[in-house]
Amino acid sequence: MKILIADDEALSRRLLEKTLDRAGYEVIAVEDGKHALEQLCKPNGPRLALLDWIMPELDGPGVCRAVRTRSEQPYVYMVLLTSKGSKEETVLGLESGADDYLTKPFNAEELRARLRVGERILLLEDRLVEARENMRFRATHDQLTSLLNRGAVMDLLVRELHRSHREQKSTAILLGDVDHFKRVNDTLGHVVGDEVLVEIAGRLVKAVRSYDFVGRYGGEEFLVVLSTCNPAYAPGRAEEIRKSVSNRPIQTAKGPLTLTMSFGVLLSSEWGRRPVEELLHEVDVALYEAKAAGRDCLRMAQAAAKLEMSPALLPEAVRRRH
Amino acid sequence: MNKNEEDLSQPVWNVAELLERIDNDQVLLRELLNIFKEDFPQSFRSLQAAVTAEDLKSSSRLSHTLKGMLSSLGATRAASAAAKLEALSSAGETAPMGRALSALESEADSLLPELDAYMAEVRR
Repeated sequence: MKILIADDEALSRRLLEKTLDRAGYEVIAVEDGKHALEQLCKPNGPRLALLDWIMPELDGPGVCRAVRTRSEQPYVYMVLLTSKGSKEETVLGLESGADDYLTKPFNAEELRARLRVGERILLLEDRLVEARENMRFRATHDQLTSLLNRGAVMDLLVRELHRSHREQKSTAILLGDVDHFKRVNDTLGHVVGDEVLVEIAGRLVKAVRSYDFVGRYGGEEFLVVLSTCNPAYAPGRAEEIRKSVSNRPIQTAKGPLTLTMSFGVLLSSEWGRRPVEELLHEVDVALYEAKAAGRDCLRMAQAAAKLEMSPALLPEAVRRRH
Repeated sequence: MNKNEEDLSQPVWNVAELLERIDNDQVLLRELLNIFKEDFPQSFRSLQAAVTAEDLKSSSRLSHTLKGMLSSLGATRAASAAAKLEALSSAGETAPMGRALSALESEADSLLPELDAYMAEVRR
């Protein structure tokens, strides 16, 4: 385990370094508060710290205060070292955010025991964070496929659209539906239906880049968002993604199954600043057109025609088309 | 070791206590002595200058550093002398500081030969 020690006095620092090294810690030693803070703020920096009270630049309590102002960061267990001993100073030290307090010269045995207390607290924190992350994952992911759920993928889509407007880039929204999925469920059972959905989810994720995202939009509907997607390549990429599902059979408990998907595709750049609900409606219309054209294909949402209309007429026009 | 100081119950240098703290690591002990021999004279000279100039902020900081260094080394008596100087600096009592500085110096004068003797002993 990494531990930071900060002491401006070389002899004490070396003594401490060696004591902790012997106790099995990976020691990072610095000689002032500024460097201590720098180390503690590094990603994967030490989470245990022994800080001398009086140091040039930034003193021990100053480091504690600065570390505690950071939020959403792993907890750092900090022990102040000092030769000061008055009650007022102890209170001041602890109120600056230190977890513990040791008076110099300290006994090595006691130091090690107090650091073990720190390690217990950190372990507890790790477990809590892990539990929270699990909850967060469950709240934002579909249980069956582990894809983003509808709420989460919508949130991400809204953020992505804002970003693409800001950066004047295009986002491609793909809404896909598994063709004749109901037949799978009806003839082979829900267990096979679930197997199919899990496999399709996996193939869609593999077919996109790490900064794109895929969500389960509904029962057998999937929403794929391609961020910063060059409009010229979007249909080709969408087709590749679509084919990744149909190009080879899916292995199920009841044998291999070949399934196809239909997709509606919309490019954000061609639709201006419209609410996400409207864009999703348009892409849904395109998906419907793909289905009507015999399935196993994709249709691009028709932006050119829409842009010629006055915005006031749009919703009605859309309704008529459906 | 027969200095006429108030805290005569304490040895000038408690090497046994230090060795216990460092698990009898002779290599580390030598390293610590080298750090001390390098850092102490310099810090002490700065402290002298600060006391002479009645620069309380510096004398407080420097005597604090020396106190830490000396107590880490197990030089309990000299550490107490540095602590006294630190207390005077913090309290702004300039009048007795000269005497406190001399007391620290005389502790250091007894300490340094002991350290040298130990180094020579070990080397033999």
